[in-house]
Amino acid sequence: MNYDNIHTTCPYCGAGCRFHLQVLDQDIIGIFPDRSHPVSQGKLCIKGWNAHEFVTSKDRLTKPLIRRGGGFQEASWEEALRVIARRLKDYPPEAVGVLASAKCTNEENYLMQKFARVVLGTNNVDHCARLCHASTVVGLVKSFGSGAMTNSIPELEDSKCIFIIGSNTAEQHPLVAHYIIKAKEKGAVLIVADPRKITLARYADYHLPQRPGTDVALLNGLMNVILSEGLENKAFISERTENIDAFKEAVKKYTPEYVAGVTGVPKDSLIAAARAYARSSASSIVYSMGITQHTTGVDNVVSCANLAMLTGNIGKPGTGVNPLRGQNNVQGACDVGALPNVYPGYQSVADEKIRQKFEEGWKTKLSAKPGLTVVEMTNEAEKGNLKALYLMGENPMLSDPDIGHVRRGLAKLDFFVVQDIFMTETAELAHVVLPGVSYAEKDGTFTSTDRRVQLVNKAIDPIGESKPDWQIICELAKKMGSREFEFSSPSDVMDEMARLTPIYGGVSYERLRLGDLQWPCPSKDHPGTPILHKEKFTRGKGQFLPVEFQEPAELPDEDYPFILTTGRTIFHFHTGTMTRRVSTLNREVPTGYVEINADDARAIGVGDEDMVSVATRRGSIKIKAKITSRVHKGVVFIPFHFAECAANVLTNPVLDPVAKIPEFKACACRMERG
Amino acid sequence: MKEQVRLRCKELLSAKRVAAVWGLREKDGCAVPFLFQNPEEIDALTLSPKAPLSFTCRPSNETMLSVLQKKMPGKRIGVVARGCDERALIELAKGERIDLDLIEVIGFSCDQAQAEECVCSRPFPQNPVAGDKVKGIPEEKAFQGLLAMELKDRLKYWEAQLNKCIKCYGCRNACPMCYCKDCRMEQSVFTKIGWLPPEFPLFQFVRFYHMSDHCIECGECEKACPMDIPLRKITKYLRSRMEDLFDYHPGLDAKRKSPILTTVDEDPVKDLPDELR
Repeated sequence: MNYDNIHTTCPYCGAGCRFHLQVLDQDIIGIFPDRSHPVSQGKLCIKGWNAHEFVTSKDRLTKPLIRRGGGFQEASWEEALRVIARRLKDYPPEAVGVLASAKCTNEENYLMQKFARVVLGTNNVDHCARLCHASTVVGLVKSFGSGAMTNSIPELEDSKCIFIIGSNTAEQHPLVAHYIIKAKEKGAVLIVADPRKITLARYADYHLPQRPGTDVALLNGLMNVILSEGLENKAFISERTENIDAFKEAVKKYTPEYVAGVTGVPKDSLIAAARAYARSSASSIVYSMGITQHTTGVDNVVSCANLAMLTGNIGKPGTGVNPLRGQNNVQGACDVGALPNVYPGYQSVADEKIRQKFEEGWKTKLSAKPGLTVVEMTNEAEKGNLKALYLMGENPMLSDPDIGHVRRGLAKLDFFVVQDIFMTETAELAHVVLPGVSYAEKDGTFTSTDRRVQLVNKAIDPIGESKPDWQIICELAKKMGSREFEFSSPSDVMDEMARLTPIYGGVSYERLRLGDLQWPCPSKDHPGTPILHKEKFTRGKGQFLPVEFQEPAELPDEDYPFILTTGRTIFHFHTGTMTRRVSTLNREVPTGYVEINADDARAIGVGDEDMVSVATRRGSIKIKAKITSRVHKGVVFIPFHFAECAANVLTNPVLDPVAKIPEFKACACRMERG
Repeated sequence: MKEQVRLRCKELLSAKRVAAVWGLREKDGCAVPFLFQNPEEIDALTLSPKAPLSFTCRPSNETMLSVLQKKMPGKRIGVVARGCDERALIELAKGERIDLDLIEVIGFSCDQAQAEECVCSRPFPQNPVAGDKVKGIPEEKAFQGLLAMELKDRLKYWEAQLNKCIKCYGCRNACPMCYCKDCRMEQSVFTKIGWLPPEFPLFQFVRFYHMSDHCIECGECEKACPMDIPLRKITKYLRSRMEDLFDYHPGLDAKRKSPILTTVDEDPVKDLPDELR
């Protein structure tokens, strides 16, 4: 008999909690939280406590599948890889695309982008970070020079004022909320700006329920108050920032009266919140997809950066601009270059010197042309310009906006490979399906939202004939004739990655075994960086960027009178491929629902639990009504986990012009009974 | 102290008086439970009063020791136990989850500082192999501040605390005594499923009630709570009421039935349904 505890990192949100998988004779029998972890401290949320259950689900893919005739046929690895290698060679580089995965390890994402760039010769590589925090990466780079959370999660406990905007932290990042509640209990002021009365709003000193999509107006309004009352940090502004004058000019018109009219937030709470944020000795901004998933996503992020700089709340403990990344390794997948415009470590593909470095490192001539983003790939597929797609661990058929459009795009692909652990809605459209493995069956690293690189350790052997994703990519690359994929372990991959990626320069498995490392960690003797922009900003001076408020792309009108906003619940994760296979989570929330305010429900004659049809200009779904005061009149909310009533049939695929993130958080809809 | 325990474990294993020892092992900077099967492995055994020895595994709802006893039928297992761990073993045996006759307790006492941190009334097992039995801390210390509050303020306090709950079920999962196949916390009779916060106060109180004659004051529920709800204030209060009313101490006497399962004349209730056994 063999019993062991395998220390590993949670596969759900970006908080980066760690636990031990309890393994008895190759069977994972339970989860034991890690008491000594700096973030999770022996605590977990309901998903974490059950994170082992889906691993051994009977639905796991266990053999490669090839589409023949109307259905799939099982195939050997040899055959499946041979087919893929042969087919992928048929297309010119600009006609192929690769989608990496925020659920897979850093090493796998690194290999996937390397595969796209080295083997396929294209920069058409992206992943679902495009759909969650593309605006963060773009916005914070513009303002500060680095597109990541500036501070660390545990610091929130000692923050004196926490301003949460567009993050349902208690449900989406419960172990981050742990520190927010602690701060509140120690006397911190809590400001929550969210159209919904989310869990943390109950603890807020000020709840600012803005109309969806009016965040820039709200943030400019706060800064207008700060400036007009002389509460800005003049010393910080003059020493550490630039472009304040143009910015001051821009926020002038955002008076509390004007902003109250635009956002629906009462003038007095706006003023009081602005004062509280500006006057505290350490104020922290926490945000998430509530502000990033808009056509003005970058503007929203930049406005948060403006607010922090205006009051000097950056570079110190308990302060900062803190985007909470939604997936276990969405931070890492970006860090290691699974993006169409940058190599690992956010090094631009358009920069000749950098390109040369990678050409030498990878011994291959590389393309200088930035590639396509997620939504652009679907668009180009529909137009017939993108012919082949290799996708790993993503489910755009549920996660991307306007699913009808996604289906038309993917269905038009000449050749489509999906590598996943389950037969997802997306895999069903593939020509070849490869069985990858879950976090419990492989080694690797995840990087959590506070830039914390942590080990993932193999607990059990791969299920059936499935293989670790890093091995699959290497085997395929070798089959296609590349010599640049000779890795014997994920640790080897990390070593190569560290050599080419300055922010990961000092990271190695040897060091990670002793504890996590927060990037930038440029050298082997560097201890890692819990707080960014301490003495100076990554870009030198912090840049104020004037931003004007713009309405969402689609506003309610007579035909579509309600604003639809979407999100997650605490009991499920993303497209439900993992959580809907966990009995405890399924019992809590077995299917989707639309949250409707009681007044609206009465107006359309709908009772609690009644079926309603929700329609937008993209499509319509039938879904159960949940009548609740969590949403205001005129606003409805649908979680996007559920294929049978998929919120993304409804959402608007219009993009932020710079970050290309879709507007998941606001579109117009109508509802009727039945 | 660690050396004394290691020595004892080695002796037991070498003499084949036990087939294995269940204790904590230092690994990756954490103290985590391990099944030691060879005397040579014992050098990695560690004592950590702050680390739990055994949670109830999910979704099987079985404690590790009952899993191990099923895997090793008829074999003796040594268990390195704090006072609370030993009390858990006794209660598990009373619930017929494990066979106490096949368990060899290798007990060690916690020190005074640890006892104070845990507000532990009995920071030692019955016959410790190592460590001196230090004075227990009266349980009232954990809740006397609350008793001084007016009832309506107390209600307000608990409403605020329990409304923080995000339904992780960590209190239950971490509890060595929460092994019911059919958990009351999951039933729609007591709380609306799939909604936060769970209805006050039934969601947590159905568990508190269930724990009143089981709680062995290990405090794992509170340590597992991601919202830092002071659960021990209630569990300790319930324990002290059990003591006052029935002179009953869970985990001390394997022979004594819970007074909650007895009639007024103290005869055990006959024909118990399975879930109450």
